[in-house]
Amino acid sequence: MDLWQLLLTLAVAGSGSAFSGSEDSSEKPKFTKCRSPELETFSCHWTDGVRHGLKNAGSVQLFYIRRSTQEWTQEWKECPDYVSAGENSCYFNSSYTSIWIPYCIKLTSNGGTVDQKCFSVEEIVQPDPPIGLNWTLLNISLTGIHADIQVRWEPPPNADVQKGWIVLKYELQYKEVNESQWKMMDPVLSTSVPVYSLRLDKEYEVRVRSRQRNSEKYGEFSEVLYVTLPQMSPFACEEDFQFPWFLIIIFGIFGLTMILFLFIFSKQQRIKMLILPPVPVPKIKGIDPDLLKEGKLEEVNTILAIHDNYKPEFYNDDSWVEFIELDIDDLDEKTEGSDTDRLLSNDHEKSLNILGAKDDDSGRTSCYEPDILETDFNASDVCDGTSEVAQPQRLKGEVDLLCLDQKNQNNSPSTDTTPTTQQPSIILAKENKPRPLLISGTESTQQAAHTQLSNPSSLANIDFYAQVSDITPAGSVVLSPGQKNKAGISPCDMPPEVASLCQANFIMDNAYFCEADAKKCITVAPHVEAESRVEPSFNQEDIYITTESLTTTAGQSGTTERAVSSEMPVPDYTSIHIIQSPRGLVLNATALPLPDKEFLSSCGYVSTDQLNKIMP
Amino acid sequence: MDNKGWSLKGSLLLLLLLVSDLLLCQSVASLPICPSGAVNCQVSLRDLFDRAVILSHYIHNLSSEMFNEFDKRYAQGRGFITKAINSCHTSSLSTPEDKEQAQQIHHEDLLNLILRVLRSWNDPLYHLVTEVRGMQEAPDAILSRAIEIEEQNRRLLEGMEKIVGQVHPGIRENEVYSVWSGLPSLQMADEDTRLFAFYNLLHCLRRDSHKIDNYLKLLKCRIVYDSNC
Repeated sequence: MDLWQLLLTLAVAGSGSAFSGSEDSSEKPKFTKCRSPELETFSCHWTDGVRHGLKNAGSVQLFYIRRSTQEWTQEWKECPDYVSAGENSCYFNSSYTSIWIPYCIKLTSNGGTVDQKCFSVEEIVQPDPPIGLNWTLLNISLTGIHADIQVRWEPPPNADVQKGWIVLKYELQYKEVNESQWKMMDPVLSTSVPVYSLRLDKEYEVRVRSRQRNSEKYGEFSEVLYVTLPQMSPFACEEDFQFPWFLIIIFGIFGLTMILFLFIFSKQQRIKMLILPPVPVPKIKGIDPDLLKEGKLEEVNTILAIHDNYKPEFYNDDSWVEFIELDIDDLDEKTEGSDTDRLLSNDHEKSLNILGAKDDDSGRTSCYEPDILETDFNASDVCDGTSEVAQPQRLKGEVDLLCLDQKNQNNSPSTDTTPTTQQPSIILAKENKPRPLLISGTESTQQAAHTQLSNPSSLANIDFYAQVSDITPAGSVVLSPGQKNKAGISPCDMPPEVASLCQANFIMDNAYFCEADAKKCITVAPHVEAESRVEPSFNQEDIYITTESLTTTAGQSGTTERAVSSEMPVPDYTSIHIIQSPRGLVLNATALPLPDKEFLSSCGYVSTDQLNKIMP
Repeated sequence: MDNKGWSLKGSLLLLLLLVSDLLLCQSVASLPICPSGAVNCQVSLRDLFDRAVILSHYIHNLSSEMFNEFDKRYAQGRGFITKAINSCHTSSLSTPEDKEQAQQIHHEDLLNLILRVLRSWNDPLYHLVTEVRGMQEAPDAILSRAIEIEEQNRRLLEGMEKIVGQVHPGIRENEVYSVWSGLPSLQMADEDTRLFAFYNLLHCLRRDSHKIDNYLKLLKCRIVYDSNC
């Protein structure tokens, strides 16, 4: 109830006030604005509070007062000019205008003050619009679509800019004829300004307004200037189409970047190889390892054939064949892979296959458990990356070959290629028992050139071991069969020259070494000259004599002290001491102690731990 | 909300101040500089006037902004403007009040007048800065401008003295200026009175800076460009 009452009264009052407000507003005159266009005169305007149809009795009067000295003058003076500025206005000419002097004006109607205002003249400056707008063509773009123009105008005539009494700033606005929004340019102090990039086929409107530099109030706009630009040349493009070079460049770069990234990521390994090439490890000069890997034995043989030492026909030597004992146990493969075949056949591929194939027997007669060997190999991580099962086999062969290699390297000054060429010559021997010359392999796991040796340098069977027990004065080498060594240890007797090499090799990342090598390296024997010494223990073995034109120079003595130890049962290994002559080889039987069973079980590969056990 | 708008505007104004200051410095720095005290060094009168006009215009802009800030912040609704504009302490100096008078006065006299006005403002500006600092929630916009105006006023005074030395060498009048006695009212305990005193001072500053700016522009056109700007 109360609420309703309140609302009702409010509504009535509001309407009443609205009603009366209109009346009031129409009755009471009010100042609308006071303005000085040039800082010399000013005028004030007000609204006439006349109701429609009714004229107020009292006329409106304006009184002003200004502060001349320190005090206000007591009297209000009336407006000097009601006419010049129009209706409901008061115009103060320059004699009545004082700048920087406070003025107060009041509007009276029927004696009553209706409005009052105080100001200073410099605060109400609003200049007149500029006059005399015109434009000139600056240039036309090459495409014939755009043009630049220069717009000029004159300052308002009543503003005394020449004497510097007032300083004006101008603002230009322009737009196309059919547009609604004006484009504004920055205010300038000068009376001309260039307008850029106007289209030739459009009409434009331009207008300028000014303000006093010190204040913010703009005056009225000037008259509109119509700019009609000359027509475009007929052959100009219809559309201002610009080839999107920028876009194309961006996309091109993006695409190239994507391709580059794809390339990089797909060839990461290769990139890595390019950027960080693997440090080349010292390689024994010899046959290209890739050839050996790929099994291209023929090529290898051709390479080897360059050197005189290489006598493939050895393979066909009957006397040699006599003494080859095939140890065919398990696999049929073995028959193929036996050393005999390898010795005999010119089928190098086959032999290579054998080498590459998983031949459990090759070189590891005592290895009844191939798994152990394999694991051992895998653990030792001899191969660089390839974890094939055949790896152990190959490695074994490699070991032999390595030994061969080493020896051959040391041997010949002339042969800097395949030292293994020497081996076949040595191997050939007319003995009863076929004993392939056991070449102790070195631990240098340069697979290079080692697998290539299809010759029975591997420790296939103990039966194939041959050791040189003596050197005949004629220069032929006496070979004696080695004892069956279940362990299949292949000691590598390195010539003393390779001591340093041995040491280097030890450092290598192989996990296993030939114990012989290890021993040899540690006990560096300076003996280079190897004399084929026949150990007394050798006597029990057959002796092989090479029919080869091996020339063994006397004076080559094997590493006697290192080789033989009293406890050695039978020297199974033959060390080859390379003699000066490229054709000469001196073999020295050495026997390594067979320390442990466990050592034996390692099948000739000595891990570092085992090596430490062996060595003092 | 208001504070945010205030701070934003304040920061914008400060930025504007800095930029304008930089521009000013740049514009002034580009002109050749005479080491003070050098007798033979002569910067051309045109350059001196150009610099002076730039400075006076700058001071007037600053004082306008400062006044607007103060008006918006403190003087709204208090009807200060209608309380009649108090006299400024420089009103005692008889300066030309319209164009005719300004044209009639000799430029040496006008220069001296300018000097007097500038000197009269040294003291009030100094106190203005200290008192604005002591104001409650002293707005940064006002304070920074006050500090800037004070410094620029000193520079303008030096410049004007140089101009006088070139235009009217030899005669050196006594240092006449109007004394400002408005300090007590600035330090009044009553907030209203105090604010009105500030308002008045800032209004006077705006007026006088406009006056000096106008005189200088007039003199420049008259002396340098021979009334043909």
